[in-house]
Amino acid sequence: MEKLLQQTCKKVDSDELFKVKSKTIPVNFEVNRLKSIDISESEGKALRVIHNGRIGFSSSTGSEGFDSMVEKAAATSEFGSEASFDFPEETKRSEKEKINIYDKKVVDKGIEEMIKVGEGIIEKVKDFNRKLRCDATIVKDCSEIEYFNSRGGNFSYSKTAIAYSIMVQQIENQDMLMIYSSIESRKDNLELEELTSEIIENLKWGDKIVPIESGKMPVIFTPKAALVLILPIISGLNGKMVLKEISPLAVQKNKKLWSDLLTLYSDGTIDFAAGSAPFDDEGVEMKRVPLVEKGEIKNFYYDLQTAGIAEVESTGNGLRASSQSEPAPGISNLVMEEGRVSFSEMIKDIKEGIIIDQVLGLGQGNIISGAFSNNVQLGYKIEKGKIVGRVKNVMVAGNAIEELKNIAALGNKAKWIEGKYKFPHIHLKSLSVSAKK
Amino acid sequence: MREILEKILENKKNSADYIEIRTEKKEITTIRFQGKKLEKINCSQQTGGNVRVLVKGGWGFVSFNQFDDLEEKVREAIEVASLIGKEESKLAIISPVVEIIKRELDKDFRQVSLREKKDLMENYNSIIMKSNPLIQSSNVIYTDRFSTTYFANSEGSYIEQEKPFLSTRFTAIAREGDNVQLASESVGTTKGFKIMERISTKAQKAAFRAVNLLKAQPVEGGEYTVILDQTLGGVFIHEAFGHLSEADFLYEDERMSGLMKLGKKFGSPKLNVVDDGSIPDLLGSAKYDDEGVRTKKNYLIKDGILIGRLHSRETAAKMGEEPTGNARALNYRFKPIVRMTNTYIENGDTPFKDLLSGIKKGIYAKDCYGDMTTFEMFTFSAGEGFKIRDGEIAEPVKDVVLSGNLFSTLLNIEGVGNDLEMIETGGGCGKAGQNPLPVSFGSPHLRIRKVVVGGR
Repeated sequence: MEKLLQQTCKKVDSDELFKVKSKTIPVNFEVNRLKSIDISESEGKALRVIHNGRIGFSSSTGSEGFDSMVEKAAATSEFGSEASFDFPEETKRSEKEKINIYDKKVVDKGIEEMIKVGEGIIEKVKDFNRKLRCDATIVKDCSEIEYFNSRGGNFSYSKTAIAYSIMVQQIENQDMLMIYSSIESRKDNLELEELTSEIIENLKWGDKIVPIESGKMPVIFTPKAALVLILPIISGLNGKMVLKEISPLAVQKNKKLWSDLLTLYSDGTIDFAAGSAPFDDEGVEMKRVPLVEKGEIKNFYYDLQTAGIAEVESTGNGLRASSQSEPAPGISNLVMEEGRVSFSEMIKDIKEGIIIDQVLGLGQGNIISGAFSNNVQLGYKIEKGKIVGRVKNVMVAGNAIEELKNIAALGNKAKWIEGKYKFPHIHLKSLSVSAKK
Repeated sequence: MREILEKILENKKNSADYIEIRTEKKEITTIRFQGKKLEKINCSQQTGGNVRVLVKGGWGFVSFNQFDDLEEKVREAIEVASLIGKEESKLAIISPVVEIIKRELDKDFRQVSLREKKDLMENYNSIIMKSNPLIQSSNVIYTDRFSTTYFANSEGSYIEQEKPFLSTRFTAIAREGDNVQLASESVGTTKGFKIMERISTKAQKAAFRAVNLLKAQPVEGGEYTVILDQTLGGVFIHEAFGHLSEADFLYEDERMSGLMKLGKKFGSPKLNVVDDGSIPDLLGSAKYDDEGVRTKKNYLIKDGILIGRLHSRETAAKMGEEPTGNARALNYRFKPIVRMTNTYIENGDTPFKDLLSGIKKGIYAKDCYGDMTTFEMFTFSAGEGFKIRDGEIAEPVKDVVLSGNLFSTLLNIEGVGNDLEMIETGGGCGKAGQNPLPVSFGSPHLRIRKVVVGGR
């Protein structure tokens, strides 16, 4: 393949090929029983070229000839952005040498075994209440990634993943209680107990609906809901948003902006996390990148091209949305450091407030400004240090950049969300809550 | 393609209750400007296919990019289907069809050079960037895609359909100090490149709205009488109501089907809701759905009463109703599932100014920024909002997020306008990971009382 790339250099100055081959098998349960099993085999390749100092790109799912891809990429390079980088001449890890993202046990896991896991999850939930509707998905994925460029850089690796997810519904009259939860790893080490016990705890809290008045009040975001506050920060720390001066965080580097409690880092080297890999999708070593330390912004995250324009180094965050996309700055795994307060202590500290566990409208609206406004799809009311029931028809709104200045406490038990985010509970001193009368 | 598919189906048809093979090839061009810069220009080609089989009520599905061993894929699909199937297979009966459907375009985008496309978008982008000194940045995304799908099943159907799609999305980002606001306008069509040459007013509008939002005050949270424009009304009927009409969501769930019982009163007699995949050349249109069923006009609500729902062949058979032509798949990677096509509220008889009159304190919400629904609960972010004071549209407000319960909100529609517009945007509908599926939606202006508007 390297040879092929060097040959094409007669047509273009330099180029790189990114290839992904994967097989994904989801086993789906709907309304408490096995519904479907899919097998998805996919192949994709993306060719990026630098020609006359400009970037060109084309992609294909497999059958298209390499020559025709080169031709298209060369054609697009005529109008492409000016390249502010070169493809890496060598791809070598200097920090942590081996990152574990492959587990043979996942590859060998049979479909029958996956069916058993799903049945086990549903059984556990049904044991709690026979009237519930459960949907569950058990999915495994095995992928091979290959990268070559005409300057000599190349790498390849295999990765595996397994995920369990469940959604439980309880419908009474016009009330629908819906709770979802999922766990994901690159290693076959998931505990279904972790999933079902969380669901059952939520079902208990949610049994009774309680009224609530609009106003400002203390709020706890569970790890599952923490993205409401963190998505605007992720978007604001994106090197591209900073470079374009769209991010309000662009001028805040090395300034104390938030509570001392807030420390966030991007880390693509955590064993078996969903965002981990030895290299990002353009051959730069994945690293641990401190983004926010004790409330102070330390770094923005970059891919090669954006870093080149900004005259900084790539942070190893050049990620592709799919096998057919160009790299762009993206978060590998994002970790928020834990605090010292347990979830139950947080609840005890609140006279009147709410817990937010699931929202509608995540990522909607003007995220980059920090603004959020969400319907609380699953939330609980706290009165005098105790959870008294579930709230309905409630919205929360604020500006994440502002609200994170008012952290009362962070939980002491962070949880992985979607396999790539690790967040503790976040207790805010006060947030605007509006309720329908 | 036809011969290969038919030969495999002939060989395998006795080993399953039903087999279908769907393959697809498509060429995609994407151009994206961000700020003053051309950010992305990209040509891609995709080919892929899938096999779906039904064995004793269980579905097996295999999708792939390599066609070299199609018969093996069919075998794999039958194997997994057999792990699930434990009952009788049920599919509504339709007559097999053999048809090849070509599309005529108003300027075929496959004949337009990359340079011409780029120049057009560059022009739109500079309209946004130069419209006002407060415009900080922009985002212009153009996509065209020409796909051809090949469908064959074990009942003897063979359908080839050409499916062109074009879209452009304009986003303007305005900034004044720390105040950053953005506004988007989007156009989608199946009709050809000509439409894309005539949308400079949309670019201007995005810029104008973003700058206006800088001045807007955040809306005060609370309960209001709200008027929705055609876009937001269309999004509302699609998202909040339409998805609950999708029978795959209902047929195995007694309690849900109880809530969506035919004959139940859903709104005032002025309320009529339709889904129609047979309107020529709209984004949600096709002569046949992805199960080879002919599309048609389906009333969902008539005179305020729930009278219909949307079906695939399986849900129709299981509920004892007629198939409606609503089984659609995003692409070869996915199974057809019950989806909307072109969904709208029919015209009522109230002119816009009469809808406004009598509202002491209300909100006029326009365009949609984002939406999300879960069962009966919905949340919509308006792209643009105004206060209504004493029956008049007053100053702009921002961060208008509407939320509520579908059933009570439908009953609270107290006025239906007479100015229906079908909205075709470049976005699309999402369900079960199949996103964005091209759809259109529409509505006349709607007046709804007691809507919760979130705010600070």
